[in-house]
Amino acid sequence: MRGLVQVVILGLLLGGVYALMASGLTLLFGVMRVVNLAHAAFMLVAAYMAFFAFDILDIDPFVSLPAIMVVMFLGGAALYRLLFPRIEGSPRYGEMTVLMTFGLAFIAEGLMSFFFTGTFRTASPSYATDAFRVGSFFIPTAQLYASGASIVLLTGLWAFLNFTRTGYGVRATMQNRTAAQIVGVDVRRVSTISFGIGMALAGASGALISFLFPFFPARHWQWIAILLSLIVLGGLGSLKGAVIGALILAVASSLVTDYVGSAWSPMTFFLALFLILVVRPQGLFGKEQRL
Amino acid sequence: MVKPEVTRPPEFEGSGVEITELEPPTSSRKGRMVFAGVVLLALLLVPALQPFVGFYSYMLQLGIVVLMWVAMTSSWNILGGYTGYISLGHNLFFGLGGYTSGLLLVHYGLSPFATALLAGVVTMFIGLVAGLITLRTRGPAFIISTIALLLMTSLIMDNWDLVGGSNGMDLPLPEIPLIWLKVPFYYAMLVAAVGAVFLGYRVQHSKLGLALRAIAQDEIKAEVAGIDTRRLKVLAFALSAYFPGVVGAIWGYNLTYLRPTIFFIIGVAAQLVLMVIIGGRGTVAGPIIGAALVVALNEVAISQFGSTELNIVVTGVILIVVLLFFPLGIIGTLREKGRLPAVLDWD
Repeated sequence: MRGLVQVVILGLLLGGVYALMASGLTLLFGVMRVVNLAHAAFMLVAAYMAFFAFDILDIDPFVSLPAIMVVMFLGGAALYRLLFPRIEGSPRYGEMTVLMTFGLAFIAEGLMSFFFTGTFRTASPSYATDAFRVGSFFIPTAQLYASGASIVLLTGLWAFLNFTRTGYGVRATMQNRTAAQIVGVDVRRVSTISFGIGMALAGASGALISFLFPFFPARHWQWIAILLSLIVLGGLGSLKGAVIGALILAVASSLVTDYVGSAWSPMTFFLALFLILVVRPQGLFGKEQRL
Repeated sequence: MVKPEVTRPPEFEGSGVEITELEPPTSSRKGRMVFAGVVLLALLLVPALQPFVGFYSYMLQLGIVVLMWVAMTSSWNILGGYTGYISLGHNLFFGLGGYTSGLLLVHYGLSPFATALLAGVVTMFIGLVAGLITLRTRGPAFIISTIALLLMTSLIMDNWDLVGGSNGMDLPLPEIPLIWLKVPFYYAMLVAAVGAVFLGYRVQHSKLGLALRAIAQDEIKAEVAGIDTRRLKVLAFALSAYFPGVVGAIWGYNLTYLRPTIFFIIGVAAQLVLMVIIGGRGTVAGPIIGAALVVALNEVAISQFGSTELNIVVTGVILIVVLLFFPLGIIGTLREKGRLPAVLDWD
């Protein structure tokens, strides 16, 4: 029983970080119906920024995190303006966005492999390998800090969506793009900002990855499958769903790691992704709609 | 190509109603047949030059690679081109074909040349089952479910001891004099490629193809028109899984080893999709042109820059540029401009 609780604690800490990673992806889908297959690749780009900032300049990932978010926001907004207005209104928009972001993922992966090689990297700030005890349970410090950062950022995102004018626009666009346009929401501007925010969230996740998980360029395929499974379980476009999906699957994968073996823990996500798409494509909290 | 004169009643002018001839004129049809015959004959005779040219094994190897991709792109096109269901996990069948024949070779000593067709039957069956499950979804959800399928297979192969896990399996070389070593592989790939192109051609010119194109354009209307969309989609999926399995079997034997990282990585699917999209989705000639072009580009890139990392970047850049500016691919764009040579017009 104690072992089980320990596994669930670790799973929840992991789920906190997963929720942050998935939030950007689900936001993009909600606002623009874009399934961004490059989300995880951009996360790794940010992870490399944080890694080199730490390795060369000795800047803690938590310090470089805000700067990385700003850089990623600007990059994302520019990327959106460059690519997406051209395919809006195309009859196969959904499919086009998947193929296009598939291409982006390859560009990002190739550039990372070229400049940073395929070596495993991980930043090692002092707290990276620390752990402390609460009662009889171990809490890894890095995971706890990362989950804390994730909760702060997700709360910020929630506040932005619920208490700012632009946030209203984003939510209106999520509900009904055309209607939002009719009542005067500048949908192009909202989309640009949302893409930027999605990328900034990928950036923040990357900064956390830099010291939580060893990474190399091609790793992003596994990450994107994990993230897709989280948001598909929660219901595409639903932030609440992404958080709950992340917590459920992170705990489930921790249990699989513990009882079956770590080699099979990714299977939790792949199988969940596959089965949910086939059996209940709207997920737990999604609207009754087909992708 | 000279556009045939079509007399249009004046009331149709500017009405947007297009009159298209159903059958191309017989003269261009004849020309196409002669062209195909000459190409096929040339392909059959290529290995005869083996004893006379020094670097010939390289040329044959290049031919093997192109023919392999042609077989895969033409198969993928049945599902991704005609039916409009993009699979980003199709190399799963390529890999499973390789592993099927590889297991039969290692454990029973059966030559993959003999078991390749059987490997295709196995992958077609797997495709049938996969189609029954994944085709409940459509659009982006279908694409993602094929990726999930590929990742699951890859993880199983990485951890399954019978097939060697992540180390894979080593296969014995066929007992053929070294100078002729590539020749049987070349002919085997040629048979598979011709078979796959012929299959694609037959599908395109059949009622099945018509129904699949209807599904691609508007699935609900197709359903209303009385097409059993579900059955035909699954059939298209199964058909498109046959030849990837066959060439996987031959390719594994040619490499002499099977590794999950060669067959089951998503990069293979990316190349496949890139080829078909460059050449032209939903056309007979497009996948062939796309395969030849991308293999040639890769070859130049590797010999000039020697780097596979930049190759990945170029793959992504070309994919995006083609999607943004030439979504119809080479064949489709040329046809739209009325400049498609008759010998390439097989649709």
